[in-house]
Amino acid sequence: MIISVVSGKGGAGKTTIATSLANILQADYYDLDVDAPNGEHFLQPRDWTRRQAFVLQPKIDSATCIACGKCAKECRFKALYKIGETVYLNEHLCHSCNLCREVCPTGAISYKEVPIGEVRTGHSSRTGAKVVVGDLIIGSTRGTALIQDITTRLRSDGLTIIDGPPGNSCAAVAAIKPADLVVVVVEPTPFGIHDMLQTLTILRDMGKPLVAVANKALETEELEKVLAEQGIELAATIGLKSEYHKALLRGEVLSQADAGVFQGLQQAVAREVEKR
Amino acid sequence: MMKQIAVMSGKGGAGKTSVTAALAKLLPAVIAVDGDVNASNLPILLKPQQMLRESDFFSMDIAQIDTSQCTACGECEKICAFGAIEKEGDTYNVADDCEGCAACAWVCPQKCIKMVEHSCGKKYLSLTENGYLVHADLNPGADNSGKLIASIREDARKLAKEKNYRLILIDGPPGTSCQAISSLTGVDLVLVVLEESLSGLSDYRRLATLLSHFRLPHLVVLNKVGIDEQVAKNIEDAVAENGGEIAGRIPFDYSIPQALSRCETFLDLPEYRPTIEGVSGQMLGMLG
Repeated sequence: MIISVVSGKGGAGKTTIATSLANILQADYYDLDVDAPNGEHFLQPRDWTRRQAFVLQPKIDSATCIACGKCAKECRFKALYKIGETVYLNEHLCHSCNLCREVCPTGAISYKEVPIGEVRTGHSSRTGAKVVVGDLIIGSTRGTALIQDITTRLRSDGLTIIDGPPGNSCAAVAAIKPADLVVVVVEPTPFGIHDMLQTLTILRDMGKPLVAVANKALETEELEKVLAEQGIELAATIGLKSEYHKALLRGEVLSQADAGVFQGLQQAVAREVEKR
Repeated sequence: MMKQIAVMSGKGGAGKTSVTAALAKLLPAVIAVDGDVNASNLPILLKPQQMLRESDFFSMDIAQIDTSQCTACGECEKICAFGAIEKEGDTYNVADDCEGCAACAWVCPQKCIKMVEHSCGKKYLSLTENGYLVHADLNPGADNSGKLIASIREDARKLAKEKNYRLILIDGPPGTSCQAISSLTGVDLVLVVLEESLSGLSDYRRLATLLSHFRLPHLVVLNKVGIDEQVAKNIEDAVAENGGEIAGRIPFDYSIPQALSRCETFLDLPEYRPTIEGVSGQMLGMLG
């Protein structure tokens, strides 16, 4: 079973909650916030094995290319352009879609592997369970492709926790897609609530069951009201406390620093796990 | 000369929007841009007074299959790199994953796939107390967030020219990937909001590497400081190593999230107003 931990707003506490759940449930932990992965600071994994992740991008054989410009004309992402008698590729714009290879009248285009990041696998010295980290090359625009590269290979024997990226764009969708259950982390402020509503739209469209948890909470009245309008009950609340912040600054997994704080969430998740 | 400043952090929740909103209210005439198009919170703090324009954002066309002509040969499914063509009964459908590359339309022997216009979000222009706000809402889960950011930044530049405004202030998205890059290209200065935490430091290092690729100078506001001396020291060292300059420090203080929950900014908290004024002064000084 796969549980994705997401939040529309950044800094709501996805990593705090995902690492804690991985600890409580003895689950594998996948860090799919690939352009800002931070779970390893808390889970302290050891014995890394590494693999490169790639996307396919066009390679133009200059001997066969007649510089007709057809590929550049047809590319909808404007990733190919012709200057003089040479066709160039802008790697940042390429979506690896295959079209240029199809349209090329001389068969000059093949696909080559271009690295987009590294996938590291280790074992947490804190929980003993597996830790997988997606680490996007800095400056790469292919974060979603790296997430998909990892999720398509993901086999969950027991329980797996995915720590997703913030936001409500394609990267979040890619991290939600393999999930059997989604934990939505909400900072109960006007900002967190605004961003959560978009996340809920995505989850509804994808038909994903969810558990909502408030984090860094000073009060939850407004959040509970908004959730009720959506037919959702707030499953658990974690307060805004400087002790928690201090524990995180020391690199502790919050559920190890204070087991009690996760009781509500643990029960809510357990109920959902049992249903499946 | 028009100047552009992007407020970035790497880590989400570091305080980008809180700092941007305070600066946007303080600066005399500014066009504010919310570059976090799928979690846009700047309007909540800037409280625009009047909506001037609202428009659909069209980016990529998407594929549409005329099922009456489709022979279910499966060529489209084979070529699609995004897994967006799904078999349904004895015909094919296009799923939300379509990125609009048109490869399916090209290979279809029946020529029964066409590319159709598709709105993937909305753009807004509104009037604030002392300037304008340009923001957008990407349709939840949609692609093309980077293009939407580029589009509203272009709108902001046109507006600046038209109204003779000299400063554009961009509230950036978290992370260091496509949306961040789209918010950074062509700016003159970056203001980094760095949260005193392990994740804040780790993400700052990634962001600083990105900024050096683009050869962009940066100032730093440290946020939520005063909890852990060792982390604080590591952060100050990292900022020095990466050529940043610390322009202000904001402590971990419950009164700040409380004020933000009331939709107030740092300017409404008398003890922090001078910090924001100091940051603003240094920014303008660096822009010359």
